[in-house]
Formats: sequence, structure tokens, C-alpha cells
Amino acid sequence: MSDELKSNISQPPDAGPTASRSTVPIWIILLTLLLLFLGAVYFDRHSGWFDKQVYAPYTSADELASYQPKSGEASMLAHGKAVYETYCGLCHGSDGLGKPAQAPPLAGSEWAAKDITSLARIPLAGLNGPIQVKGRDWNLSMAPMGASLSDADLAAVLTCIRESWGNKNGAVSADEVKAARAAISGHPPAAPNSPK
Amino acid sequence: MNKISKKSNSGEVDASLRVPLLALFGGAAFWLVVSSVLAMIASIKFHAPDFLANCPWLTYGRVQPAADDALLYGFCIPAGLGVALWLFAQLGRAPLRGAIVPVVAAKLWHLGVLVGLTGILSGNSTGFAWLEFPRAGSIILLFAYLLLALWAMMNFAARRERALFPSHWFLVAALFWFPWIYSTANLFLVAWPVRGVVQAIIGWWFAGNLLFVWLALVGIGTAFYFLPKFSGRPLQSYYLALFAFWTLILFGTWCGIPPGAPVPAWMPVLSSFAAVLTVVPVLAVAAIAWQTLCGSTNCEPKGGPFCFIRFGLMSFVLSSLMLIAMACPRISQVTEFTWFGPAQTQLQLYGFFAMTMFGAIYYLLPRAVGFELPFPKLARLQFWLSMFGVLLFIVPLAIGGVEQGMKLNNPNIAFMDATKAMLPFLRTSTIGLLLILLGNSLFALNIFAMTFVWEKSLVKKAFTVVTAPLEKPSASASLRRDQGEVKV
Repeated sequence: MSDELKSNISQPPDAGPTASRSTVPIWIILLTLLLLFLGAVYFDRHSGWFDKQVYAPYTSADELASYQPKSGEASMLAHGKAVYETYCGLCHGSDGLGKPAQAPPLAGSEWAAKDITSLARIPLAGLNGPIQVKGRDWNLSMAPMGASLSDADLAAVLTCIRESWGNKNGAVSADEVKAARAAISGHPPAAPNSPK
Repeated sequence: MNKISKKSNSGEVDASLRVPLLALFGGAAFWLVVSSVLAMIASIKFHAPDFLANCPWLTYGRVQPAADDALLYGFCIPAGLGVALWLFAQLGRAPLRGAIVPVVAAKLWHLGVLVGLTGILSGNSTGFAWLEFPRAGSIILLFAYLLLALWAMMNFAARRERALFPSHWFLVAALFWFPWIYSTANLFLVAWPVRGVVQAIIGWWFAGNLLFVWLALVGIGTAFYFLPKFSGRPLQSYYLALFAFWTLILFGTWCGIPPGAPVPAWMPVLSSFAAVLTVVPVLAVAAIAWQTLCGSTNCEPKGGPFCFIRFGLMSFVLSSLMLIAMACPRISQVTEFTWFGPAQTQLQLYGFFAMTMFGAIYYLLPRAVGFELPFPKLARLQFWLSMFGVLLFIVPLAIGGVEQGMKLNNPNIAFMDATKAMLPFLRTSTIGLLLILLGNSLFALNIFAMTFVWEKSLVKKAFTVVTAPLEKPSASASLRRDQGEVKV
């Protein structure tokens, strides 16, 4: 074995390694704190705070809830509003205040507070002739706009009319609309003079 | 062969470790070569799918996990335990008592690896990454580890030099870390499997803790011993090392769940949070190494133990940064399910840990056994082979992995086109594995030759004793005592 291969191991064993006692540099502490802060912000925004329902890419339980299908009266109102805008809103207005010489108001109308059969009769059969709404006389003609709607759609739009713009007259179910439709079938369009 | 003069306490300490270290490192060197042969077979199958396709024992799904486990359980862990035993004895200046137990435990460990690898290759893998060993193999491994760790801790408790060095913290933590994670993961995944997605979570937690935390604890603990040795300057500094230690075990243990994991969002988010914070211990280790080596007057020849450990530290920083990058959702979208991941794992296992262990073993084994390395030039050649092998493996696969990820994310590129585009990168990585195989063989050659030389010297000594003239009973008695001392 040649001499150059002898490494320093033939020297007597030296003392163990030592460590200097200089302090931890400040930059690494600042970096740790900065990363902790940024990490906490990231966690706050993306973790859903340990909610077991929240999976990526969603970031919170609230965001998840906004994508859930609605149920109950809220969803019926939202659906009714959409039907109202298609069939009724053009004349009665999105705000339900009606239009002069075109359609009487629905907001605060005593007709919206009447029994469901009387109310359903208007869209189902149409309305011709004089009518008193909120103390004013109207003498116009409305086609049976709701006759072609399904029971569920008509119930939704009636609920919308009875529950919007300050009206608080309760929801209408599809079964009630069905009953009303059966009650007036075959009858000619009515022309009630005034609310009873 | 040059006999190293043994005087003072250090020689006694070295002599007490001789047989356990040879048992641990000999088996480790064997499994290292086995793992690189298996990895070569697995790699060749990517561009030559017909290669060994008719042999069920050597199909890709068995060879690849067998190669990974042979490297991790066959080489990395026993090598780390051997180095830890030596460091405890050296730092504490206390010879190892009852050395027969670690020898038996080392043999038991290697038996466990044999059982486990046979289980994988015969198709009895458990199917969990890094836990593929069938139950019998895992139980033997855990038992052998506990024995080795117990003896290391007893030696630690019996140390004569009471003051602790930073390496102590890292190695003691590592001794406790492995039984904790290994038993937990095996109980929840193999013995009494938990249900559904929790299995994946435990698998990620285990892999992250084993590959990042355990390897970092042992590798960095070892490097902290050798940095002041090689540079001739004190470690810079004690408190920064303490800071690195606590931030490593505090943040490292949360890592591992990838951002794309189909689990409740808080888990990957917390994991990414922890991964980004592991930048702190990684930078602390880099700062310690930089400041300790800065201005060092070391003139060791190229390719010696110091080069291994320096390359290991650089790989540690780079592989940890790759790991942290993969925990960021934006980057993970590209790199997940690509070759970037295997490249990172290889850099961590081989580039960082195995290289650090090579350096430590080349340094300590000649001291412990009492002979110079049989082939020191081949040991230096191994440095270049292993270094270029790792670079040829990880650089193409990391770059190719990013390209593959971008192509996979592009709906206009067909899956087969994205996969075929990886072929040149895979071919280069096979060449890298070939260099690693050659380097590993040189390591095994040195270890086996050293064991052989030591055994030959034992035989020679016994022969001298037996054939010694009888008219001098006193001389014969003293020779016999010498022999007894060697055998301890």
C-alpha cells in the first residue's frame, strides 16, 4: 500500500468536535415569524377551519352552502320570481306597483289577500271589465296568462305575489292551485265588480 | 496493511464497536447492491417493456417497491444505526458493552429485510408505499430496531463525557422516531386496517416522517459531527443547531399530504403550511454548514469522506426545497403524478442520506476495524460515480417531470404523446442508475474486503497462538490475551 493513501487516521485520535456559542441570527427568526404569519393567512383562507365537509377547491363552509340547492319557501319564492318576471312583470312591474292605464298594482293589493281560489281565478281565466284596487277603479282586460302554467309554476308565482313587496299573505301550494283550477274549469271569465 | 496504533480510550471505544459495525454495514452494503440491481431492472422496463416480462417475480410492480425498500430498509436505516452507535460511543467516550446483542440485532434486521424483499418479489406486498414488507418482515425489523436502539440508548446513558453535542439531540430523537411511526403505521394499515381515505392519510404521514424527518435527523446529526472534524473549526453554532432541531421536528412531522389529496381541505392546507415552514430548518442547516466550512483549511484529496458529506448536505438542501415546492398547490398541479416525485425521493434517499452515510462509514470503519480501507482509490472513484449517477438520474427526471406535468395538463396533447415524450429522460436516468450501481459495487467491495482482511488477521493471530513454541508460556499467554481483546 503506497504512502499517499495513508490518510490522517494514523494521527492520534483528537478531541471531540466543539460547537461555538454564538446566538441564532435574527434574520432566521424574522423569517420564521413571517412564514408563520403568511401560513396562518393561507390556512385561514383555504382550510375551511377543520370542516370535514369542505374539500378543495372549495375553501369554506359558507361557499359550499351557496352551491347547495335551496328548498322550502325560499326556493319557491325564487322560482316564483322567475316565473313572475316572464309572465306578469311586463305589465305589473318588477316592483309590483303596476303601470297606469296598463295594469293595477299588486303590492298592497287587497286582491292578493283574498282566498286562493279567487286569486287563482284571475291568471287562470283572465279578467275583463271594471275592478277596484286600493281605492281606485280600473277598467281593463287581462288575458288568462296563467292557464298554460303548471300547478307548481302557478303556485310559485302566486306565492311570489302574496309574499313580495311587503305583502304577507302566506304561501300557495300546488294542490291548492289544482283545486282552484278544477273549481273554475268550464266557467267563463268573471268580471267581479269589487272585492267582497 | 497498516495497523493503526490504538492508544487511549478512543481505541478501546473503537474496538468495542468493531463487530456490530461490520455486521450492520456488511449487510447494508449487500442490500445496497441488490437495490441498485432491482432499480436498474425497473428502469429498463420503461423503454424495453419486454425485458424480463415473463418472470412474475421481476415484474415492474414488484421490482420497483423492492428496489425502494432495499435501499431504505436494507441500506439507509442499518447504516444510520451503525453510524449512530459509533457516534454515541465516540462522543460519550464509552465503549459499547454487551456487543453481542447489537450483532444479533443487526443479523436479525438483515434477516427481516430478506424476508420482506422475498415477500414483495413473491407477490405478498401489503400495497402501502414504503410499508410493502409483509407482516413477518415488519415484526422482525421492529424488534431488531428496538434492540439496536436500546443498546445505543444504554451506551448513551453510560457516557463518560456528560456534555451533549448537537448530534446527540438529532440521533436520540431519530432512535425514538422510527419505532413510533413504524409501529403506528403498521398497526393502522397492516394489522388492523382503518377504513377508507384514512389509510391514505396514514400512509402519507408515515412516508413523510420516515423519508423527511427520520432521514434528516440521522443525516444532519451525522453531518454536524463531521463538519467541525473536517473543517477544524467549531460548529457554527450550538444555538442555531438547537433552533434547526426543534423547527425540523416541529414542522417536518406535519408534511406529506399532497395538495391534490381527496381529503378534507384542512389536511393538505395544514401540510402545505408545515412544508413551507420547513424552509426554516433547511436554511438553518445550510447556514450552519456554510459558516462552519467557510475559511476551513481542509486539504483532503478529492473524493474522500468530506466530499461525500458535503455533497450530501447540498443534496439535503436541494431535495428539501423540491419537497417544499411540491407542497405548494400551484407547483403541485404540474408536478404531481409525474417523474418529479421519484427524482426528489432519489435525491433525498441516495443523494443526501446514502452519500452522507458513505462518507461517515469511509471515515469511521477503518478506525473501528483497525485497518486502512483496502481500496482507497476505488472509494474515491465511488464518489464520482455516485455523484454523477445521482445527477444523471435526478436532473433529467426533474426537468422531464415538469415537462410531463405541463403536457398532462394540456387537453390538446394526448396521454400517449405526453408519456412518449419522457423516453429520452428515462433513458438518461437508466445510465445514471448504472453509474450508481457501479459506485455501490465499489462500496460493497471495500466493505467486504475489509471484513475479509479483518477475519484473515483473526485467523493469522489464532494460528500464531496455536503454533507458538510452548517453552515460553508467558509470551503465549500474553498473545492469547491480545486475541481475546480483539474479539470483544
